[in-house]
Amino acid sequence: MDPMTFICVTQFVHGLAYGLLLFLVAAGLSMIFGMMDILNLAHAYIFMLAAYLGYTMTGLLNFWAALLLAPIGVALLGMLIERFMLRKIHPLGHIPELVLTIGIGLILLEFVKWIWGTQSLMLQPPEILSGLLSIGVFRYPVYRVFIIGFSIAVMILMGLLFYKTRFGTIVRAATADAGMVGALGINVPLVYTLFFGFGTWLAGLAGVVVAPFLSVFPGLADQIGFDAFVVVVLGGLGSMSGAFIAAILIGLLNSFGIQFLPTLAPLLTFGLMAVVLSIKPTGLLGERQ
Amino acid sequence: MIARITPPAWTRWVLPGIAAAILLGYPLVFGTVYTNIFIHFAIFAVFAASLNMLVSYTGLLSFGHALFFGGGAYATALALENIPGMGLFPAIFTGGLAGAAFALIVSPLLNRVRDTAFALLTLALGQLAYMACIKLRDITHGEDGVGGFPIPDLSIPGVVSVSMVPAQNFYYLAIVILGICLLLMWFLTKTPFGSIMIGIRDNPQRVDFLGFNIPLTKCLIFTLSGFFAGIAGSVYALFNNLVTPDGVFHIMTSFTPIMMVYVGGIGTFAGPIAGSGLMTIIEEIATRYTTQLVLFNGILLVLVVMFFRTGFVGLYLLLKQKLFEKESSR
Repeated sequence: MDPMTFICVTQFVHGLAYGLLLFLVAAGLSMIFGMMDILNLAHAYIFMLAAYLGYTMTGLLNFWAALLLAPIGVALLGMLIERFMLRKIHPLGHIPELVLTIGIGLILLEFVKWIWGTQSLMLQPPEILSGLLSIGVFRYPVYRVFIIGFSIAVMILMGLLFYKTRFGTIVRAATADAGMVGALGINVPLVYTLFFGFGTWLAGLAGVVVAPFLSVFPGLADQIGFDAFVVVVLGGLGSMSGAFIAAILIGLLNSFGIQFLPTLAPLLTFGLMAVVLSIKPTGLLGERQ
Repeated sequence: MIARITPPAWTRWVLPGIAAAILLGYPLVFGTVYTNIFIHFAIFAVFAASLNMLVSYTGLLSFGHALFFGGGAYATALALENIPGMGLFPAIFTGGLAGAAFALIVSPLLNRVRDTAFALLTLALGQLAYMACIKLRDITHGEDGVGGFPIPDLSIPGVVSVSMVPAQNFYYLAIVILGICLLLMWFLTKTPFGSIMIGIRDNPQRVDFLGFNIPLTKCLIFTLSGFFAGIAGSVYALFNNLVTPDGVFHIMTSFTPIMMVYVGGIGTFAGPIAGSGLMTIIEEIATRYTTQLVLFNGILLVLVVMFFRTGFVGLYLLLKQKLFEKESSR
């Protein structure tokens, strides 16, 4: 097999893993916006906090315990933020919400630097997921394959939650018409809080999974967070399928960009976003701004 | 009824006179360190006020105002580095024009979105500028930035030539330029154009029905805001004699004026100026005791948004009403 094809396949799998991870982060962001009309700019920082918590918990317990506990921890934090902060200022419109969430983001960023320091922390994947996987002539890190499988599993879980449970039905109904759902005797604010927790839980999962994939460092929120925001805007605010397509697109663009256009790679993401928005301001599949 | 006593006409010049005297005497009394702190305050007051044109008056939150600030800073720095014999005022004006040009270029894009999408698009454009600034090494020298460029003298040919390197001399230049910018922005809010801005914020549909061209008006607002941010950036470049991507294009450069607008008081003209003053004072005091300045600022921002939405100016007006107005304004 010629080296070009080999590079392409390797980069494709890498881009797919990165794109699916981005989707986990972006999905929470996008669905919270879709349902509650809140863009949580602290989302990326919560994701980073989960990565750090995952790092510490892996040291104390093990990776699987971290994967279970750290997302629950940040989900609780998210629920507190929603219940005691965002809910109070929601009637004032979007600008105070954006400013508040960026303030929370700054606090989390500095908190993380304060507790864990600014150096990069490496985390080894658990025994069973380390090493290389050989498929034909391709040798590929098991962990990246795990990321792909894990993300797809979470997506299936999300689909089941949305379309097969009562909670999912209420969430979808409240997205369409929260007032009517409230009139039916359902505690919509509670649903909002739980849903916000669910969105941050997804970011937490992605945070723990990303820790052994990239390293854990304070720039993580900026690096992945911005890509996630681009994914959400590109896919259309509130659109899940749009976010999925955009996440895969950005993931592939990133991994191929770094391979073939190393100097311009970071510009490609924002360039693509600017192009899409200038043609279709609502994003790929979005219906509103 | 108490007959209102009208004070003589000259009295209205007393307060501005005192203010001008304080401004003139400031560097002589306080020395270099505090003079530099004041210049820093003035630069960010203009920068925050230029953002305030969008946030308070037009109702658009820009998360990428560093694009214009950095654009102005780099334009001035590069012009002084590459063009021999570049004058002081042309260099500053170049900075303003660069800010305006950047704003004009992105305004067709910005015109297509509003609200949350506007905030995100400006965030992305700001990041794009930051990345481009680091990557376009040939022009911007990458992460090293542009530094050590010559600072021209303030010279009127044949009359006078003053070096701008001493902090005191630069102080007078900076407060004149930045003061003029603030006055112009304040004047702008009093013009019919200022009223259209507020109209766009409150009821764009109605402004449209009245026959105003909203996209064109917004375009003009972005350009003006970009111009003033560019001037602020330009003075920043001259002040530090160094511009780096992390210094002028970084995301924190975009957040700083947002904090200032909020801490000072959103929806008022004086807000960002008071905010810049407060944040500068807080920074000066806090850095003596802690290295966690951003943590402190973040907590302050959250507290202001949560509990004190009117900011410092709101607090001042409230106190003034409680203490000095005998009749309650009910």
